[in-house]
Amino acid sequence: MTERVLYERLAEIVGPPHLLTGVERGPYVFEGRTPRAVVFPGSLEETSQLVALAAEEGIPVIPWGGGTKMTLGAPPPEGGLVVGTRRLGRVVEHEPGDLTATVQAGITMAGLQAALGTKGQWLSLDPPFAAQATLGGVLAANASGPRRYLYGTARDLVIGIRVVGPDGAVVKGGGKVVKNVAGYDLAKLYIGSLGTLGIIVEATLKLRPRPEVDRAVAVGFAERGRAAAAAAALAASDLLPHSLELVEGGRPGLFERAALARSEVGLLLGFDGIAEGVAWQIEEARRLCLDLGAETFEPLEGAREEAAWGFVRDFSRVAFDDAVAAARVGVLPAQVGGVLEQASGIARGLGLRLGASAHAGAGILALVVAPAGAMEENVILAAVKALREFRELVRGLGGHLAIEWAPLAIKEQVEVWDPPSPAVRIMQRIKAQLDPKGIMNPGRFVGGI
Amino acid sequence: MTLSEAARRRLKTEFQAIVGPDGVLTDPSELLVYESDGLTIFRATADFIVFPREAAEVAAVVRLANREGLPFVARGAGTGLSGGCLPSEGGVVIAMTRMTRILEVDYESQVAVVEPGLVNLHLTQAVQHRGYLYAPDPSSQLACTIGGNVAENSGGPHTLKYGVTTNHVLGLEVVLPDGEIVWLGGKVRDPQGYDLVGLFVGSEGTFGIATKVVVRLMRRPQAVRTFLAAFGEVAQASQTVAAITARGLVPAALEMIDRITIQAVEDAYGAGYPRDAAAALLIELDGLAAGMEAEAERVVVACRDNGAREVRVARDEAERQLLWKGRKAAFGAYGRVSPAYFVMDGVIPRTRLPYVLDRVNEIVAAHGLRVGNVFHAGDGNLHPNILYDPRRPGEEGRVLQAGAEIMKVCVEVGGSISGEHGIGIEKQNFMPMIFSEADLATMARVKAAWNPTGRCNPGKIFPTSKSCVPGELAYKPHPIEERGLAQRL
Repeated sequence: MTERVLYERLAEIVGPPHLLTGVERGPYVFEGRTPRAVVFPGSLEETSQLVALAAEEGIPVIPWGGGTKMTLGAPPPEGGLVVGTRRLGRVVEHEPGDLTATVQAGITMAGLQAALGTKGQWLSLDPPFAAQATLGGVLAANASGPRRYLYGTARDLVIGIRVVGPDGAVVKGGGKVVKNVAGYDLAKLYIGSLGTLGIIVEATLKLRPRPEVDRAVAVGFAERGRAAAAAAALAASDLLPHSLELVEGGRPGLFERAALARSEVGLLLGFDGIAEGVAWQIEEARRLCLDLGAETFEPLEGAREEAAWGFVRDFSRVAFDDAVAAARVGVLPAQVGGVLEQASGIARGLGLRLGASAHAGAGILALVVAPAGAMEENVILAAVKALREFRELVRGLGGHLAIEWAPLAIKEQVEVWDPPSPAVRIMQRIKAQLDPKGIMNPGRFVGGI
Repeated sequence: MTLSEAARRRLKTEFQAIVGPDGVLTDPSELLVYESDGLTIFRATADFIVFPREAAEVAAVVRLANREGLPFVARGAGTGLSGGCLPSEGGVVIAMTRMTRILEVDYESQVAVVEPGLVNLHLTQAVQHRGYLYAPDPSSQLACTIGGNVAENSGGPHTLKYGVTTNHVLGLEVVLPDGEIVWLGGKVRDPQGYDLVGLFVGSEGTFGIATKVVVRLMRRPQAVRTFLAAFGEVAQASQTVAAITARGLVPAALEMIDRITIQAVEDAYGAGYPRDAAAALLIELDGLAAGMEAEAERVVVACRDNGAREVRVARDEAERQLLWKGRKAAFGAYGRVSPAYFVMDGVIPRTRLPYVLDRVNEIVAAHGLRVGNVFHAGDGNLHPNILYDPRRPGEEGRVLQAGAEIMKVCVEVGGSISGEHGIGIEKQNFMPMIFSEADLATMARVKAAWNPTGRCNPGKIFPTSKSCVPGELAYKPHPIEERGLAQRL
């Protein structure tokens, strides 16, 4: 099919204003890969037709929400069809009495929370870049934030999902009710699949009533070991923080000059619920942290509270102005302190600064590296070495490491994903069954999927 | 599949070589015990029941079954309620009840690794001395196994607040249908790649056999308050359920019990439920002690605002346990009011509860039957238990017919055909009520990726016929019964 004919067919489906070709594709050229065209369907039906056309012509499909996780995984294929979801942004149904909502995938997380907030409810998921990230993208990348400690991640909150499959057919999993075991749990498959099994177009979500009160506390320590011990003690206590974040390095003063500027490492705690319960927890936390050697314990409010949450949530992008790469690590909660210790030693030895933000209670960390001084070309080499050594360290502990973002020069020298486990052959068979032509985001995922 | 006597003897010896001489049953009187699960209306006979002791034995049994072309299915305690562990095409039942160990408990990371034959309640009992528990608490938890919970994605009353089995499983060691042993996920969160653990949980034994389960443990809540609210009308009770949700209260559990059930429960256990109430709600709050009184007050107000005649709080742990016993052992109490009952499982949006309960009563009455309702009202998960006498001709057919109509109502109001018991055999022909051809085709392809030969638990989940009433495996009297030499109790 010639370019002209392809553009005509695409324009027929979405309408000329919603088709980008030529230089307009600029923002969607990614890691040196230029898409053949960029389209923005306005309905499920149009999305279906687009994918069916791509399947017919063997054109790779690259789903695009807010683009905030495009760096995750291997670079997209050259010459694909970028399908942007931003026009599919409606709240289809919100049932406050049932605490459920059905929402189209192109809505931003901030937009979603604002809509749900009008009825005093929220989706208890706080992934990074809320103003740009879309619900569909968050689900496809299984993005999460600090509140996962109490509220879980996307897989604990999605009760139904609709996907345009690799042949253009619309597939549904789950339903609209909070308990449902009819059929296979396809939502679990699509969440985190990074667009390799279809385009998520709609999801039904389990909601929560907005808490009466929500408070953040910044706790500063002079020593990493004490901070890790305090995190462990909090996790083992009767307290029920929604967030238990351990943060080290990154731009100084972002927590609060007076509080943490003296400290090397801090905890950011969050408590929500009824006022009496939150007040009690803050007092207990204060006692516990000071007993364990905290330098400062400071409840945050207003703009400083917002800034602190923004800092830990978006850490992989905001930790440094001159960051050169970020990795996403998973280990056991008990191993977090040790990993930070060793990783900072590795970074220092290579002339790099390390910033780390950990969901301490879950064992999930963001490690970000930036040059320690003027390094120029050497910084790429140093970052490559650091990422390789981080990976060896983490895998030696039974954990995993993926590159969250890095320039192409680094991705060409360090595998984005770990060597796959034996289970990868099941993943490959699922992929082969659902996307036999291999058109959905080919090559981006684990095991070459 | 019919095996010759010679083949049967040969294979028995081969299975014994894997699992030991006392690990294989083939005698018809022994096979009888494994003919059904908790839903006794369906029966099917296996050729062999095999009891492996570890993953390598499970794998060897599966490889032998594959070599001989025999279908196979895993079985835990057999308490399932959808026919999931029935050997619907004969072959081998792989009983996991010799694999009951707790292999590891890591309190600091709040995870445990257990074998699938471990009884659900035994896990909580093993960690409660350190202040931990395993949250998913099916009512059958005195008997049901973790592996069975994984297969069905089991729920229970406290899953309202804490989530169902899939929200608590982090990893699985699995024997795949081809006999390979592979780990899915593990103790570390967010493993790279597709969520094979999440996909496997609730796959009803059609993707393989779990041989180790990595579970998340939770800290026991600081405080708990358990309430019993009595109502003169069922509608008031179901409106209270909707009101509690609407007022932003999140109880740990919110169960409803109707009059027939209360009377059976009180006759059996004297648990303290109000005999003259049309319906009662068992409500539990848990969490921090600070603020618990204020929350408790809000629950009481919600009940009274909707007409509760009485709201009682359990004064101590003993009274609380008795109230829960009344709820969790309710099914068993039905034996006092009916020779048999058909446990149903449907789920609907909470706001439609009053309407659906009315319809259930209408449908059951129209078929000349009675129903007892005891269920997880808080998440809209209904269990209408249709009471009947299997000895009366035609009664069973009317039960299944009524069941199908109740399922239709659940679907009509935007619900689903199973909240926690699974599809199994019982509801396979209802699947087209809620899933399109494309949905079912996708599920079939996913199954083919795990189970290409289809030999692992065949005949489950997917529709087998156009009719919506399952018939092939409905109860057929045993020859001994037909000759009048024995009777079903």
